[in-house]
Amino acid sequence: MKHIALIPLLVLALADLANPAAGAEMTGKEVFDHYCTYCHGTADGPGTMQLRRTRGQDKALLTGRTDLTAEYIENVVRHGRRSMPPFVPSDLTEARLRALVEFLRSPLPGR
Amino acid sequence: MAEPLPRGVTAERMADALGRFRKIVGGDWVFSGEKVVSYYDPYTIPNDPERYKAHAAVAPASTEQVQGIVKVANELRVPLWTVSRGKNFAYGGAAPVVSGSIVLDLSRMNRIVEVNEKFGYALVEPGVSYFDLYKDIKERGLKLWLDVPDPGWGSIVGNALDHGVGYTPYGDHFMMQCGMEVVLANGEVVRTGMGAMPGNNTWQLFKYGFGPYVDGIFSQSNFGVVTKMGIWLMPEPAGYRPYLITFPREEDIEQIVEIVRPLRLSNVIQNAATIRSLVLDAALFATKSQYYSGEGPIPDSVAKKIMADQEIGMWNFCGALYGPPPVTDALWTAIRDSFAAIPGVKFYFPQDRKRRPDILIHRADTMRGIPKLTEFGFLNWNGGGGHVGFSPVSPTTGKDAIKQFRMVSGRVREYGFDYSGLMAIGFRELHHVTVIAYDQTNPKEREKLDRLFNLLVREAAAEGYGEYRTHIHYMDTIARTYSWNDNALMKMHQTLKDALDPNGILSPGKSGIWPRHLREGAKT
Repeated sequence: MKHIALIPLLVLALADLANPAAGAEMTGKEVFDHYCTYCHGTADGPGTMQLRRTRGQDKALLTGRTDLTAEYIENVVRHGRRSMPPFVPSDLTEARLRALVEFLRSPLPGR
Repeated sequence: MAEPLPRGVTAERMADALGRFRKIVGGDWVFSGEKVVSYYDPYTIPNDPERYKAHAAVAPASTEQVQGIVKVANELRVPLWTVSRGKNFAYGGAAPVVSGSIVLDLSRMNRIVEVNEKFGYALVEPGVSYFDLYKDIKERGLKLWLDVPDPGWGSIVGNALDHGVGYTPYGDHFMMQCGMEVVLANGEVVRTGMGAMPGNNTWQLFKYGFGPYVDGIFSQSNFGVVTKMGIWLMPEPAGYRPYLITFPREEDIEQIVEIVRPLRLSNVIQNAATIRSLVLDAALFATKSQYYSGEGPIPDSVAKKIMADQEIGMWNFCGALYGPPPVTDALWTAIRDSFAAIPGVKFYFPQDRKRRPDILIHRADTMRGIPKLTEFGFLNWNGGGGHVGFSPVSPTTGKDAIKQFRMVSGRVREYGFDYSGLMAIGFRELHHVTVIAYDQTNPKEREKLDRLFNLLVREAAAEGYGEYRTHIHYMDTIARTYSWNDNALMKMHQTLKDALDPNGILSPGKSGIWPRHLREGAKT
């Protein structure tokens, strides 16, 4: 998201992500925090709950998974799956999707 | 798989259009072939796989690019289907009514043009989500609150244009809209209200300007492409006190609504509060299988167990008080004393709720304008993913509320679904929103849902109840129920459509409004 500031005010740095313009570079962690975390980032998120129900407790949190293939992640993001709707490429761009895949497939301690 | 073409458009003409769109927006921002799959309806209803399929999508980054696109579409007679962010998922998502349309995806137009703390408004483009504006306000430390619907990823512009609602005192989003920029089908840009006057500084302060007030014709319509919109924001109040009132019996809804009406009319109930059913609230954090493994809707015995487990009622009134403590104390006294007349009523503030996760703790965020996606948890109740809203409007009377509840819940349960609904409290009416969750992977269930939905519309219309918003699959059906005086309103809509968009390139079929060449059947 781009911002045109018409009122000069102090910009406070927050831990969460500043909204980037579509197409801007993001790290995989930033992509996850921006697009995925509301459903998949916490134990009681709707995505986490769905995965707990269908796949079991050990596969409920995406950030704890080591079994996700690149093809599977890309397919679910673009096609959606059951409750999860798809993400359009104008917003979650191909570059961001690649970064997300890399993040979700990176070694666990480094995530 | 070959993507469909709209009727009367050749593959060559479509290829020409896409080529020219690429020159306008850049090759990376026209999506076709496999990439268009993300624009399909994620919770499809009909079993015909060819319905509601886009041919391609184009994503402009500016008003000027939108102008260029509509000029090309007009010249080549290629239909566009406009979406702000395409997150209107219970209503079709980004999918067009007419298969073969090109989705005009405004997600990249995501500039927050202005946030004005002094007057409490923002001017935003259609790609700005509730999450985006919330973060921006927080980052800059502004003393302003948003009003948010349940899905925080949606477009502020798109939600207001579709008459969406939220839960603070600013809950009627289109009421809080002030000033638009619109690209017409001929490519001309119009600014409404005070925005029409060069050098004016009240575009986001005064809605009406001079002459006819036209903003409404760009909502739920296909008369133009809104590229900027003003939205009023609530000053952060001096105090905030969310509350939950639970009621033990389904028939309590009649008395609840009779109590609500005078309190809301006189602003004792300050916000767009909601009266939510048992299953809707229970489903946010639990699954049906935790309580019931039988077929069909849950029986009464199970409902009682859920109520006890989750400390909720058969109906749950979620509201909030806004203002300095002496004010909210006085308002709460009036509210509590009014509802105390209902046997079995229970009153809660957040500190009274010990269970986690909890409905009041969650709704306390929403009623102060914190965007979330928590409500999607209800889709886990059955796990089938699909959901659609049936949303008739009712007067705020107990008689109408219980009549609608019995009509809708009776049919929904007869068809094997749980009743999962809420009554969103406007100033003088209720939006009775029943969310029907279905297994979208099961063609028989989709067919059953379709029969149920059509029956609900017919039965509601027979009693004079009309829906305020609907899925793309039911736009014609709902439009036909607004038929007073030989469909005079639709005839007026068609007159406007023919005048503003004579070639019918903008979102044909939106809200049942068809361009001349696609009227009288055989539309898709």
